[in-house]
Amino acid sequence: MPVRGHVGSDYERLRPEFRVIPNPWSPSERIMLVPPIAPDVALIHAIAATGDGTLLLDHMEDDALLAQASRAVVASTERIVAPEELRRGDGVILQGIHVTALVEAPGGARPTFVRGVSPVDADAIREYVAAAVDDATFKRYLDRYVYG
Amino acid sequence: MACVIAREVRDGETVAVGTLAAIPACGVLLAHFTHAPRATVIIINHPDYWPFRGGSKEFYDFAQRGKFDLFFLSGGEIDRHGNLNLITVGDHERPRVRFPGGAGAAMLYYMPRRVVVFRADHSPRVFVERVDTVTSPGATPPDVVRPGGPWKVVTPLCVFRYDRRSAGLVVESLHPGVSREELGRRTGFAPAYDGVTGVTPAPTHAELEILRTRVKDTVARTYPRFATTAFAH
Repeated sequence: MPVRGHVGSDYERLRPEFRVIPNPWSPSERIMLVPPIAPDVALIHAIAATGDGTLLLDHMEDDALLAQASRAVVASTERIVAPEELRRGDGVILQGIHVTALVEAPGGARPTFVRGVSPVDADAIREYVAAAVDDATFKRYLDRYVYG
Repeated sequence: MACVIAREVRDGETVAVGTLAAIPACGVLLAHFTHAPRATVIIINHPDYWPFRGGSKEFYDFAQRGKFDLFFLSGGEIDRHGNLNLITVGDHERPRVRFPGGAGAAMLYYMPRRVVVFRADHSPRVFVERVDTVTSPGATPPDVVRPGGPWKVVTPLCVFRYDRRSAGLVVESLHPGVSREELGRRTGFAPAYDGVTGVTPAPTHAELEILRTRVKDTVARTYPRFATTAFAH
């Protein structure tokens, strides 16, 4: 996809996969093309979902875009609701056709937050950052919060 | 710095503040609450100043269309030519320092009409002769679409303006109490002066009052820790 800017920066040197071409519609101009990022799997957490995998997502985040870029999408959700309740929710709706698998997992975004559901928990983030520095502390973290 | 930034905001313009930019957010809000009530103010992650529903893609697409009149960037390194480095210092493959990355700064330094660069610590480590890696160049070849670019650099010591003719930073004003000698000592390149270098007007009591009340309360919605620590006096 084309992107403005960038030409003249060190991205030209550091990212050989970024191409600079004459703009086909304005050939006196050079423009950069960048390849798409296509993740194998996207893991996203929804505010709510319906049984067919349709998701209510945070409108300030890029989860819907991430889902549409990925080969497979595994979604977790705070709760599964009826379609009419989902449509009344405050957020962006991503249709179930984009979703490969769905699991109901309240609190599944921890240590990060879910807008409109839970507040930012700075202590939880700090605990995660501290635990993530080495394998042993991270294993204890997983044992406590994921497997526990 | 917030008061200096506020003076760069013109009424009626579309002004956007990106991630990790609490000081520009304060400056833009101060302007909005005083001389720029009709400015369209966009502050990333602020519940009351985020007009998009389509995530950051909608924000970046809006910026790529050249819809921002004023935007703010910073740099791990900033050089005399207005180049910004948000990538690495040292050998790129085995860097001595790794910054967070550009995150759109190589587009956002081109498309908004004016970009104000800000940095809350003014040291020779930050203000260097030549950045190691150019995330966002001050100047670009003529065959690249660039309606905007660097405009000012605001630090705790001075304001630089970007001079397009020489493609370099020129000291516009020194903050009250800052000497040329001190600025030279704390800058990694010899600051350039022209005939009109002045003293930055100090914040007025009225500006400080609004900063410490309405601006502080508003910015706390996005920067709660900053709001509790930065306004102590």
